[in-house]
Amino acid sequence: MKISVDWIQNYIDINLPVPRLVEVLDNIGLLIEDWEEKNGDIILDVETYANRPDTLGHMGIARELAAALGLVFKEQRLSLTEADENIANLVDVQIWDEDLCPRYCGMIVKNIEVGPSPDWLVKKIEAMGLNPVNNVVDVTNYVLFSTAQPIHAFDLAKIVGKKIIIRRAKQGEKLLSLEAKDVDLTPDMLVIADEEKPVALAGVVGGENTAVSSSTNNVFIESAYFDPVSVRKTSKLTGIQTDAAYRFERGADISFSPEAARMAASLLSQFGGKVCRGIVDVYPKPRKVKTVMLRDHRVSALLGVEIDNGFIEKTLESLGFQMERKQPGIWQVKIPFFRIDIEREADLVEEVARFFGYEKIPVQLPPLRSLEPILDPKKEKINTLRQLLFHYGFDEVVNFSFMDPEKEKKFDSGLKPISIRNPISTKASVLRTTLLGGMLENVVWNTNRGAEGVHIFEIGNVFSLDKDVHKEQQMLSMVMTGHMGERHWKEKGKQASFFHLKGTCEALMDRLRYGTFSFREGSQPHFQEGRSLDLYFKGEKIGWLGAMKRDVLDAFLLKEEVWAAEINLSLLFGKQAQAFQYSAVVKYPSVNRDVSFIGDSRVSFEEIKEVLEKLQLPFLEKFNLYDRFSGSSVPEGKVSLSFRFIFRHPDRTLHADEVEALQEKIIASLRARFNFQLREGGKIDK
Amino acid sequence: MENLKIEIERKKKAFEEALPRVKDLKSLRGIRNEYLSRQRGIITGFFKQLKHVKPESKPEVGKLINDFKIHALEQIQALEKKFSAPRKKEKKIDLTLPGEKMYWGAPHPIVLFQEEIEDIFLRMGFSIADGPEIETDYYNFGALNFPPHHPARDDWDTLYISDDVLLRTHTSPVQIRVMEKKKPPIRIINPGKVYRKEAPDPTHLPMFFQVEGLVVDLGITFAHLKGTLEYFLKLLFHEKIKIRFRPSFFPFTEPSAEVDIECTVCGGKSNECRICGGGGWIEILGAGMVDPQVLKNVNIDPEKYSGFAFGLGVDRTAMFAYQIPDMRYFYENDLRFLRQFNLK
Repeated sequence: MKISVDWIQNYIDINLPVPRLVEVLDNIGLLIEDWEEKNGDIILDVETYANRPDTLGHMGIARELAAALGLVFKEQRLSLTEADENIANLVDVQIWDEDLCPRYCGMIVKNIEVGPSPDWLVKKIEAMGLNPVNNVVDVTNYVLFSTAQPIHAFDLAKIVGKKIIIRRAKQGEKLLSLEAKDVDLTPDMLVIADEEKPVALAGVVGGENTAVSSSTNNVFIESAYFDPVSVRKTSKLTGIQTDAAYRFERGADISFSPEAARMAASLLSQFGGKVCRGIVDVYPKPRKVKTVMLRDHRVSALLGVEIDNGFIEKTLESLGFQMERKQPGIWQVKIPFFRIDIEREADLVEEVARFFGYEKIPVQLPPLRSLEPILDPKKEKINTLRQLLFHYGFDEVVNFSFMDPEKEKKFDSGLKPISIRNPISTKASVLRTTLLGGMLENVVWNTNRGAEGVHIFEIGNVFSLDKDVHKEQQMLSMVMTGHMGERHWKEKGKQASFFHLKGTCEALMDRLRYGTFSFREGSQPHFQEGRSLDLYFKGEKIGWLGAMKRDVLDAFLLKEEVWAAEINLSLLFGKQAQAFQYSAVVKYPSVNRDVSFIGDSRVSFEEIKEVLEKLQLPFLEKFNLYDRFSGSSVPEGKVSLSFRFIFRHPDRTLHADEVEALQEKIIASLRARFNFQLREGGKIDK
Repeated sequence: MENLKIEIERKKKAFEEALPRVKDLKSLRGIRNEYLSRQRGIITGFFKQLKHVKPESKPEVGKLINDFKIHALEQIQALEKKFSAPRKKEKKIDLTLPGEKMYWGAPHPIVLFQEEIEDIFLRMGFSIADGPEIETDYYNFGALNFPPHHPARDDWDTLYISDDVLLRTHTSPVQIRVMEKKKPPIRIINPGKVYRKEAPDPTHLPMFFQVEGLVVDLGITFAHLKGTLEYFLKLLFHEKIKIRFRPSFFPFTEPSAEVDIECTVCGGKSNECRICGGGGWIEILGAGMVDPQVLKNVNIDPEKYSGFAFGLGVDRTAMFAYQIPDMRYFYENDLRFLRQFNLK
């Protein structure tokens, strides 16, 4: 809201240097965002709040300043030149829809010579950043910016039947608005109509047909109160935003309607108009003055500081509240109609605080009672896994939750994406069902800027529609491509690979003590066939990993192989993790046996593992595959596999012959099951 | 006993005679086994015979055997050194070559900054609570005292999924959800993503992070709000930072306040300051005493309990703290940008 310091002088005598004025206004919550000098005047740009429509005019700002600085608020004197005629004979005003228009006032000014405004008025209109139109229109704007009460002027001659009816529009009715735009009206909208047709959209915009023009002689001035919700809905539906609608939708001062009409009439009579006697004031159910109880002990209880009762009374009275002392320290406060924001005691406490000064309220730490903390094991787990991923060399990213529906489709996740009704763009019009989309964009962004490898993870929510339920799941996703870390003279570094990703997933599951996970053949359609796995825990699929499908990569214009994994943290964290358990270190030495086999390369590691586990060999502590190769030294279709078996007895040292027997069992069973042969030169040592 | 002594002397002599004949490690191993083997060594045998010696002579004979053992070991070790190949001199290495550094992934700056904020409040005894990002109109607006069709909603430009379902515009719905379940005292912060219908530009984004907080207890005052937030801002920035509280409006607090900190970039001295626009102050927090209607909505008696709430934009604050000119950098996820925060 633009405020002219000259204009304020109509209400208070104020002469402060600008920085001081800005400070005073800032301190009572009227933040000055900017200010400028214009034609010898100072124009302030004041931030106002949705609950304070009274500050949308110079009068309201002046009232605040008067209270802050202890100045006298000057009453306006209005003089009129009256005509002989009585308004009652010239126009008939009827409110048909009282719920949307509880009060409607009007005055008539005759014999106006429509023309340019005098200089003082032009200057005021320009101060508000508007262009002057003519003296009648400029006067309506002047009243609006002075008092925050919007008024409208009709060319009386064009009102058919001398009737003004305030009613809901009929389906199919139209209005040619002042903006020369045809507006289709619906029965939700309140209009001002004459005998035949709507002439204005109530509180929003006037009609072209009844607009004041150079040929206008007699003017009907409207000053009314329209229902805020109705005005807001109409303004939103029609897309017409005006200074009037902005004020009505926040709430006008219902007690002020006649006063504003009188002010306009007074000004127009200064330009030669003659004001008809009387005023139309249709106000079938006059509103009662609101009262709110204020107790001084509640003021100090909420603010944490004792405030003098005299200060409370003086401040609220200067803001227009009427204070009636019921008991010492208890007032019944009458709320002026322009303060639509004041309804409860707390609202009055804020008024006291604003003028007392927030800076004078002491600074205290609250006495914090100890209380049971709300535990969040999920948060701790996320911290643990983030640290592990940093250790594995993944950088953390955060992407927007929005996705391009076309790209989202490529993932073919089987999840129904949730659409945003009013998205910021069509390319961000659904909520992501996977984090991978955003992360592939990150890969593109970085490789285009010279990154040799991108190894990233994200933790965030994905969204889907599940039988009308908006489902939100927290996911962890990892994406990797290219070289990992910097190239180094000694360590050649790692390339992104399926097994690096798999190892990360395994380490994660172990670290979070979900060690009993398993992998199954992959089933996610966004991975290449035969190059992905699903991750299971307790019989439920909780994640997947694999090589991104070509189609998906093409959609993102990616050429390199990209490996990705996703784990549903909402699902996983819903499951019980194993308790941490210490077990004693066995002090007897282990016997390690390295055995190499040659076998059919189609036999999977998983199958070998199963056979070995089924043997349930006593004292076999663990085994691992430490070498695997095929090539010139190995026959076609075969592979060489080297295992290390670690045997240990919990209570004594194992004898060589015991280990020998166990080892023979292993060799025999792999030979029987897969026809594995011992590899020549495969050393067996102690 | 005498016999044992004689035998020891005899073997000692034999050992001395045998030594010069040792020419290599192999024969040395032979002589070592002959005298010192744990199973059948000659000296080991003497120790075994010691138990048959009369108690009064045990110390004397024992010493004799032990001296023999020490002597034999010394001799053998000396020869071992003699026969072993001389150690090669270590190769010279270029120690100025770069060391091997394992790459440690970088945290995202917003997540990191949010953690810093959380840590301060955790130390003050706050708990962390979270909730869904898709919310109903009631939790996002209604329960927070936003009347339907009120212009106040314009300041929270909303992305809607349907008439009643939306992407939360602030994390305040979590406060309602906590207050519905828990009676005072309540002391929580609610970090998380929030959404607004804003086209991305250097200072606006359709998604950003917020941390909001809520304290409800007996006798909570505006002075406590000031104390808590001053403490927080001093820890987050620095001890001497200037802080300003000024009146504002939020539907869910009454009285409401906006909290500004001084612009440390220009000190309020430059009209062209990119950060504060020359005003010298930067809005950092919205806050206030919880509106009595909000307390009533969750069945907490506002005559008995009072509370304060506050909220800040993590991105905005991080921008200021790190002097990052454009908020969009946080979501481009450029590794050259992200990896700097490895040092934070």
